[in-house]
Amino acid sequence: MTSACERYVVIFNGEIYNYPELRRELEARGTHFTSASDTEVLLHLYAECGADMPAKLRGMFALAIWDNHARSLFLARDPYGIKPLYTANDGWTFRFASQVKALIAGRAISRDPEPAGATGFLLWGSVPEPFTLYRDIRALPAGHSQIIDEAGPRPPRAYASIAEVFADGAARPAPRDDVFSRVRGAVSESVKAHLVADVEVGVFLSAGVDSGALLGLMRDAGQRHVKAITLAFGEFENTVEDEAPLARLTARHYGAEHVVRTVGRAEFEAELPAILQAMDQPSIDGVNTWFVAKAAHEAGLKVALSGLGGDELLAGYPSFRDVPRWVSLLAAPSRVPGLGRAARMMLTALGVGRQNPKAVSLLEYGGAYPGAYLLRRALYLPHELDALLDAQTVRDGLRRLKSLAALRASMTPAPARAQSRVALLESANYMRNQLLRDADWAGMAHSLEIRTPLVDFDLLKALSPVTPRLSPGTGKQALAAAPNLQLPRAIVDRRRTGFCVPTGHWAAAANATTAASKGAGSRAWAREVLKHFGVANASVAGLQKACTGVAAELAR
Amino acid sequence: MRVLVLATDAFGGYGGIAQYNRDLIQAMASQAAVDFVDVAVRVAPLSLDDIPKKVQQAQATRGRLHYCFRAAAMAVRARPDLIVNAHLYHGPLALALAKATGARLISQLHGTEIWRDVSASRLGPLRSSDAVLCVSRDTRQRVVEAAPQLAARTHVLPNMVRRRFHPGDRAEARRRFGFGDEKIILTVARLDGRKGYKGHDRVLHTMPDLLRQYDGKVRYVIAGEGDDRARLEGLALSLGVAHAVRFTGRVSDEALPDLYRASDVFAMPSTGEGFGIVYLEAMACGTPAIGLDVGGVRDAMLDGQLGACVPVEQFPEALRAALETSPDADDLSRRVHAHFGENAFQVRVSDMLHSFLKAEGALRSEPLLKGSA
Repeated sequence: MTSACERYVVIFNGEIYNYPELRRELEARGTHFTSASDTEVLLHLYAECGADMPAKLRGMFALAIWDNHARSLFLARDPYGIKPLYTANDGWTFRFASQVKALIAGRAISRDPEPAGATGFLLWGSVPEPFTLYRDIRALPAGHSQIIDEAGPRPPRAYASIAEVFADGAARPAPRDDVFSRVRGAVSESVKAHLVADVEVGVFLSAGVDSGALLGLMRDAGQRHVKAITLAFGEFENTVEDEAPLARLTARHYGAEHVVRTVGRAEFEAELPAILQAMDQPSIDGVNTWFVAKAAHEAGLKVALSGLGGDELLAGYPSFRDVPRWVSLLAAPSRVPGLGRAARMMLTALGVGRQNPKAVSLLEYGGAYPGAYLLRRALYLPHELDALLDAQTVRDGLRRLKSLAALRASMTPAPARAQSRVALLESANYMRNQLLRDADWAGMAHSLEIRTPLVDFDLLKALSPVTPRLSPGTGKQALAAAPNLQLPRAIVDRRRTGFCVPTGHWAAAANATTAASKGAGSRAWAREVLKHFGVANASVAGLQKACTGVAAELAR
Repeated sequence: MRVLVLATDAFGGYGGIAQYNRDLIQAMASQAAVDFVDVAVRVAPLSLDDIPKKVQQAQATRGRLHYCFRAAAMAVRARPDLIVNAHLYHGPLALALAKATGARLISQLHGTEIWRDVSASRLGPLRSSDAVLCVSRDTRQRVVEAAPQLAARTHVLPNMVRRRFHPGDRAEARRRFGFGDEKIILTVARLDGRKGYKGHDRVLHTMPDLLRQYDGKVRYVIAGEGDDRARLEGLALSLGVAHAVRFTGRVSDEALPDLYRASDVFAMPSTGEGFGIVYLEAMACGTPAIGLDVGGVRDAMLDGQLGACVPVEQFPEALRAALETSPDADDLSRRVHAHFGENAFQVRVSDMLHSFLKAEGALRSEPLLKGSA
């Protein structure tokens, strides 16, 4: 869109939830709007505030504004990094896009591999920012803006930092008695803000607390009729993994229109090529989001809320218990130089590593937050990578990733409280690199806008003082109590299984039968990954192992 | 703005790097915002008559230690706002001086020095630079590869082609060098045995075929001097093409444009080129140029829009094709100057300096040496 004066041109991917307020404020200061379009707000806001403009936006966005007078380009990405934004600069031409694939499709950018891309994928299950699979393409960091003008691209500048907000909150924790009321107030407000839309807003509903509470809060916000989409798998019927019965309970509890979409192995295999085609960067996840987004699309939805981020914000993961425990236990012994490595080698020699490769490295990594988090989240640990990729790629990849330093940087400034540290590490790494990125491509492939009321910078500012008070359990209890009509007990007490896909079962079934089923399961996955992302230097055997790991991770 | 340049050679120096340094210094000195440019060099100049206003080049000091003292003395006297380090090897010195005086630091890379793995002591100062200037996208890529954190501070400032390279009377130029109606293929490069990558061999190997095709009416002119000449003469003899190869030795600056004009194709299938200003000079004189699709050559050829850059196995064919085409000399020259001419270079340097003046907050902390200039 071009401004009326033709000075500014904006392109924009995402959703701004405080458009109405921003527009009112601008009009009160005498700005004249020429259209009803929300995007016009961005143009006027930039004309008024320049580079300070993104800090005023609430929502998910990747945007670019071209200034015809100054002949400069302004890029910005939301504080959490919900929307991706990639750049490539060869010194002559600066290119940017919301997907890596779009940049590659232009054919002007080298496809030379980034060793940190493949290495990081095997380490984490997704390519960690700012790296991509390609040497010449980088992500603009979340919460950053960048100016490109006649002198070339300026270094990206941070305008917002979730680390700072977590650290602020940890420095002034809320009184224990306030936890429930604060969660209730802040989450209700965020859901309300995320419901502003011209079209019907649905919700992804699992058997868990996060999405159930969203549904309850949507009702509180005045949305009479809500379409709730639940994914079910034939393989899980009558097992504890089956989400449908409890989701049905929640839907009935809040009077929602419930759509249960069952996916079977045949559909999964049929869709696999399309999934890999839509996947912007390699990911071991996203399959679940793919199918639930597909179901939402089939149900006629264009916008749906997702409970993504609830586990990060409200201490839902086991990491909130494990990571602080490991650190306090191992901080002292891990300071002995070489002891961690020695312990790993000794335990490996004893055969412990075969069953549990992470256990042997506990002393090596567990003594500080970044290492303990790596241990908790990693798909493979650095010393296991040599079996999966060629040694040169692993060496270069690890050297460029600097995983521990990168994790440390992601929790700088470091919050003073353990729970806040874990919440920050989860939000800035796993959630950003894996969950949010997967939600982006899987949703876009089905023309579905996935909104995440629990991943919201304003919500974070309100709740970061609460984070230090949370433990696995209390956060979810507070969320379950947030709707006027509280979530059913059965949902709150349910053992957590996560939102999972039986790909592991499918892959394992394919592996059990030998020659006859070549082309199915993890081997097919390996070939598809090879073909689609051209990680040509990975040994096929290594990728098979990796993809068995992928399947195991998906089934976890 | 006060500028101190640390260079191996600049005014009175010979070769592409000295020329680039001169161009950069001159372009900086012509900016209104620049008060003066002090230059410390190591190689004694051959002659010193064209030093522009506001520029002072100190007496050359060969010895490393002596050079350090001289540069330090200049920094203390001049209190520069900006130090331009024009050679990777002077990095530690430049960084120390920048820290001591609180000046910003620009490191300039010509290309070939970054091709080998650079040691940590040299990468360190590069990493601490406020900006790194590279002659080509290829060099920039190598820098970013070695130090990814430099990506946002590493810019491309290509070589500049001077105004005196323009089309002229071709017939007159051919008479001057005694050329008849033969097709003339030209290479201009130092015949450096150590470098050995300029690709003369590759052209020589195409000569037997070309001589057959053109009934003997092809000449290969090798301009430049160096210790590789004897070997190349031997190669020409063994290929049986010595009669069609002419070694001109070093060509004076004054004669060079005419030599380009007198040629049908400028061919330099070099495998390692930081940028390759000679391609641009040839094309600015209206002569088509051809090189390989490697390193900085792609930049000089503007990705094939100005001249051909081809994979090595396609070179003989591309050379034959180039001999058959005769481009519009004025149009080619105009396009070369539009992209790489003196004006374009001035604008680039001015943009760069202004971005420095505009940029908020120096990266460096307070100078170690306090006091007024």
